[in-house]
Amino acid sequence: MLKLIYKYRVVLLSTVLLQMASCTKTDYVPNPNAPTQESVLRNATRQQISQLGVGVQSVLRDGVFSFRTWSGSIGREVVYFAQTESRYYRELQGEIPLDAAGIMYGWYSAFNQIRRRAEIMLQSASNTGSLSDAEKAAAKGFGKTVQAYAMLNCLNMMGNNGIRTSFSDLSTEGDLLKPGCFKNYTESLTYLKGLADEGLASLDQAGTADFPFPMVSGWGDLTSIASFKQFNRAVAARIAMYQQDWNGLETALNSSFMDLDGDLNAGPSFLYSNTIGDETNPIWRSLDNNSSPILVQADFVGDAEAGDDRVFGTSMAEGGTARVRQRATATAPPDYPLMTHEVQMDQNNISPIRFLRNEELILMYAEAKLQKDELAPAVTALDIIRTENGLAALAVAKPGILGNKNALIDELLHQRRYSLFMEGHRWFDMRRYNKLNTLPLDKPTHSVYEQFLVPRAEVDWDSVNPCQ
Amino acid sequence: MRKVLGYWLPVLIGLVLPLLAAAQQTVKGRITDPAGNPLQGATIAVKGAKVSTQSDGNGDFSIVVPSGSNRLEISFVGYLTQTVSAKSGEISVQLKEDDTNLNEVVVTGLATTIKKSNAANSVARISAKELTGSTRPPTLDGAISGKIPGAQITANSGAPGGGVSIRLRGVSTVAGSSQPLFVIDGVIVNNDQFATGTGTRAFTGATSLDAGTQDQAPNRIADINPADIESVEVLKGPSASAIYGSRAGAGVIVITTKRGKSGNARITINQDAGITRASKFLGSSNWSEEKIETYGGAYNISEEDALDLFAAANGRTWDYEKMIWGNTGKINNTSLNISGGNDRTKYYIAGSYQNETGIQKKTGFTRKSFRINLDHKLNDRIDFKVSSNFINSYASRGFTGNDNRGVSLTYHLPYIPNFLDIARRPDGTYPTVPGRVQNPMEIIDRAQNIEKTNRFLNSGEMNVKLFSKGKSTLKLGLRGGVDFLVSEPTVYMPEDLQMMQESALRGAIRLTTNKSRYTYMQAGLNFNTTVGNNVELTTGLVFLRDDQRTDQSYIQGEGLLPAQRNPSIAQRVTTGNIINRSSVVAFDASQEFNWDDKVIGRVGLRADKSTLSGLNFDKYYYYPRAAVAVNLANFGLWESDIITQVKPRAAYGEASGFPSFDAVYSNLLGVNYGGELGSVSPILLGLGALDPERAQEIEFGLDLGFLQNRITLEATWYNKKVKDFLFPYTLAPGTGVSSIKLFPVGDLENKGIEIGLNAQIIKRSSLEWTSSLQYWNNRTEVTRLNIPPSYVANSGFGTYGRKRIVLGTSPTAWWGVDTSGNTISYKDFQPDFQMSWNNNIRFAKNFDFNMLWHASQGGYNASLTRLLKDEGGTTKDWSVIGKSGDPLGIERQGSEVTNFVFDASYIRLRELGLYYTVPAKILKSGLGKVVQNLRVGVSAQNLVTITDYYGYDPEVSNFNTGNAGGALTGGVDLAPFPLAKRYFFHLNIGL
Repeated sequence: MLKLIYKYRVVLLSTVLLQMASCTKTDYVPNPNAPTQESVLRNATRQQISQLGVGVQSVLRDGVFSFRTWSGSIGREVVYFAQTESRYYRELQGEIPLDAAGIMYGWYSAFNQIRRRAEIMLQSASNTGSLSDAEKAAAKGFGKTVQAYAMLNCLNMMGNNGIRTSFSDLSTEGDLLKPGCFKNYTESLTYLKGLADEGLASLDQAGTADFPFPMVSGWGDLTSIASFKQFNRAVAARIAMYQQDWNGLETALNSSFMDLDGDLNAGPSFLYSNTIGDETNPIWRSLDNNSSPILVQADFVGDAEAGDDRVFGTSMAEGGTARVRQRATATAPPDYPLMTHEVQMDQNNISPIRFLRNEELILMYAEAKLQKDELAPAVTALDIIRTENGLAALAVAKPGILGNKNALIDELLHQRRYSLFMEGHRWFDMRRYNKLNTLPLDKPTHSVYEQFLVPRAEVDWDSVNPCQ
Repeated sequence: MRKVLGYWLPVLIGLVLPLLAAAQQTVKGRITDPAGNPLQGATIAVKGAKVSTQSDGNGDFSIVVPSGSNRLEISFVGYLTQTVSAKSGEISVQLKEDDTNLNEVVVTGLATTIKKSNAANSVARISAKELTGSTRPPTLDGAISGKIPGAQITANSGAPGGGVSIRLRGVSTVAGSSQPLFVIDGVIVNNDQFATGTGTRAFTGATSLDAGTQDQAPNRIADINPADIESVEVLKGPSASAIYGSRAGAGVIVITTKRGKSGNARITINQDAGITRASKFLGSSNWSEEKIETYGGAYNISEEDALDLFAAANGRTWDYEKMIWGNTGKINNTSLNISGGNDRTKYYIAGSYQNETGIQKKTGFTRKSFRINLDHKLNDRIDFKVSSNFINSYASRGFTGNDNRGVSLTYHLPYIPNFLDIARRPDGTYPTVPGRVQNPMEIIDRAQNIEKTNRFLNSGEMNVKLFSKGKSTLKLGLRGGVDFLVSEPTVYMPEDLQMMQESALRGAIRLTTNKSRYTYMQAGLNFNTTVGNNVELTTGLVFLRDDQRTDQSYIQGEGLLPAQRNPSIAQRVTTGNIINRSSVVAFDASQEFNWDDKVIGRVGLRADKSTLSGLNFDKYYYYPRAAVAVNLANFGLWESDIITQVKPRAAYGEASGFPSFDAVYSNLLGVNYGGELGSVSPILLGLGALDPERAQEIEFGLDLGFLQNRITLEATWYNKKVKDFLFPYTLAPGTGVSSIKLFPVGDLENKGIEIGLNAQIIKRSSLEWTSSLQYWNNRTEVTRLNIPPSYVANSGFGTYGRKRIVLGTSPTAWWGVDTSGNTISYKDFQPDFQMSWNNNIRFAKNFDFNMLWHASQGGYNASLTRLLKDEGGTTKDWSVIGKSGDPLGIERQGSEVTNFVFDASYIRLRELGLYYTVPAKILKSGLGKVVQNLRVGVSAQNLVTITDYYGYDPEVSNFNTGNAGGALTGGVDLAPFPLAKRYFFHLNIGL
């Protein structure tokens, strides 16, 4: 009898133990929500490289809204009157101090992230056996060019506070903890020139190969390696202009897609769509928008020459050429002078945004020539801009300045102001010609910033991890 | 069953026989309450022997007392335990009510409990009477507010359906959820706040993303009907919660539901009827021509237009707050429960319907709940418990809180000057509001934010006495349960709303399905023996496993046809799906000892492995615990009726938490660009193998009882350290990576004091007054930090006050700028102290009066609610000239932190109730024998709030949404749904 009882206990206990053994098993849970970065860093497939390449093209758009609108606000092109967030005008117009830890640094993260994402792409490309050497070089050339483009925008916002010219070496463990020091404006430009030139060298090395990823239609004619070099040189031209390397600027322009006789709008653009996983045009605003209109600083219209197609007439949003449009009702933040116009450069929320146009290249060409005291070709270039935008040639409109370099530089800056309105130039133009103090202030309490502050997160980082 | 009996019966007889052989006597008796009514279910135990029985429906019992024993211990929850001598024949025992709760049972292990008088921890226990006996808050979170010393409870929204954040003993985690673990009937249940999408780009635009981090959704614990709850125990820190190991870093709330008692079927019908009204309005300033000139018009209205509009109003003004929240909501709670059973089977069956309409049109909360709790005793060795609960709940919450689009009512009213008539016109149209893109009245009537939930909570338990001999027993306990819920939020804005005119895609609808399945299983062996005469030893071995899986998906359509509510054919369709799953496997060993109620101690060790640790999924983490309590009064050192309890106690324990499921992964993001599929490398990196953060707590306490415990004092000091707390490791943004999602970055320390004083101040038959005063405080400090000072994401806005992790400072302190723009720390979200004062007064025999006051002193909130009104020119005191010579409304827009961080101290009359119990005599004469019990009463919740705070509710916390990141996001006041007061009439009938 007792034996039986014990038997049952043994059976019972061993059942429990057995049950427990199966219950204690746990497995690693692979991420059910997304693939991981580790899957591409080593031995990526062709398809994965192709996807990373598309990804880099996609993120190249990032930061375009804050870059253009913030620099436009400080450069007194626009006032961003977001009804639910007064900091967008109070802070940017200098009424209250810039908050280095606040909401004005979207562009900073975006541009640095583009740099890293391009780096991940080009390193993944070089760490795989599934690409030819030429394709690896093509991926690198693309990546470096993109880095130069994005970081130049970043550097211009940062001014003499500069940027970190090295950010990490992805190949070593813990690399993220050792970003390089901030370098001043001049040193940073040298770094950017290096990136652009390295990009060109790699593209040269790639020869006649194709990019190992699809080049989206936003690149227009610049999708082959040969033509993409022209984009690389356009970026190099921008860098040279800020370096005041006028010969370098002219050389770069000559290898770029500049075409004095061509469409001023020729050049690459960012694409938008309503498709899932894509984005819509962040600058687009409905006509007479009231919730977050981008208003045009009052002087922009007043300072324009009569007949300027960039200001008067039908807006680009409505199929015309004017970059601004008169609102049905003028509006402004409290106590600002009323603003009659709003930015209207896009037809709808999926309109592409052009980001480096032939018109800009021609203006850079004019500047190079002016600075090299070759006034005649400069005037020719300026006249192209003027006549294309509905204005008379300088000889007719302003004959008095034809031989006057300084006056022509003013004319150049004027044309840049109107041609490149809201494309991220005005503030930097006024800064490099020491004219920030001539920018209009909407309220006496306003002021014009020289540059953005180093973000608080960077200061905090350096305070604990001194850079090497 | 017979078979089982057949095998076990001989064993039983074999064990009982030796007892029978010895000399013994049978004692019979009757147990009654102070009024002389029979008490059913009282436990009668022979001291020093393992013999016990329960009294029956007439209060009668019969027990065989072995020789050598001559004392009987009679105990019953809610009454003082009495020891009587066991004489042959009939004895009669009248139990006295215990208002000190010292005999209540509190949890000490996964399968063990202890008398509160022997507990080494300060465990807050809230009985059914304390929970819902005074008034009837619709959700559990409301019902525990002010009742847990050591807790800071804040409301995420005043909207119907609740939603609170509970922090126990300060800061337990920085990046994880502040919410404690919820356990109902021994099984872990879901308390998520599921995303609804309300705060996303397509709706209020509070976040520009498609993820729902600012949805202000309710917590799922709101599904539980408070009236079904027998008790709530709060294991406040690791010294008590260590038994739940890796899930218990933020404390544990253990809920026990009501169960049947043997006896005739008792039917209880509860009917509450009530109303709810706004607690407070902020008011609005009147305008004048001078003010319009000073302001420069009105918000987004030019001076000229503003003057015209002002003149057109001709002196008329509109009180928008009253128009929107001036409604009276109606409350209707009906519940019916039947309980009863015999010595073998007991049942509790409850059905309830609760309905509350909000103070804002079209808002409300409804809950239907059905529960069956069954207890069955198969034989003397085996018993079962089954609990089953089905809940269907519905909440409609409107649109409030942060906003970037013109939707949130509370965000946009502050910008509308009160000389504009925004009311709906008789023809059904809504006037456009000058300067605004959207008329708020149209949002109320035509936009929708609702959530429907269906939930099954099932749990079962089986206890088997494997072995019992003499003073030793070995028990096997098996427990399991499932919590399955599906919640389906719908957010909808029609295509012809005014604001949609500016949108490229007009109209939006988002249908979300949140599914959650939690399963729990536990098996334990429990060996109990008595060594010598009076040393009781209990050894426990428990194995458990819990699995949690949530699956959230949504489909969102933007660009709708008129009346279209099908997102799949919208112009732009967005979908999303997120799966979270985790498993914890744990072993727990414990040893408890009790030397004659003199010295009581326990030690234990729990080993957990968790899939949340990523590549460390198979690694065990160990959580030790130990506690000791000494009842000095039981040593017989003194004979005194004055000092009846002196209990020094100490407890230590460790627990931990894993902040979020996603933390171990570095995700590639899929994109669709130019018609091509792309992947984007992450800016948030996961640490592949993540160890949990570890909370270690030591607690010392002293419990004193005076005058036969009519006065008790419970004092506790604790020090809770959180080692290697996990925090996003913000990298230099220049690296292009924003952060490592979670990284062990430092240590935190919480120190606090909890003091409770309970007294039966008056105890006469005509008047009884019991009062309880609680005081608690907590200080938190970052004691080690290996990252730069870092702002805590979503803990506030820019210079308007945010939390920052800085070595040597409190992580709940606010940071902003001073007048010269320097970053400074200013005040703390955690209050200096909190106090609660609860009073029960029974007078004229049949009247019960209850009053609960709760005070919080010295806590500060970061409020943008006033700034919105200052910007809009609608603060009541806008035009008052300030120190600078400017109107206050302008002066206060300066960026210094003092303009936004306010003292949120308050004193609140949280609950007030008055009940009349119709005497049995009247019932008998009036209603025959049908009605056994009749009680009527009135009560109120949040009746009085005394505060200088500017805002709808000082207990606010609008950013506490989403499960992670909630710990330090408390105290942000950003245009919340106004707080409501509730008034009730109660009718309680027992059949």
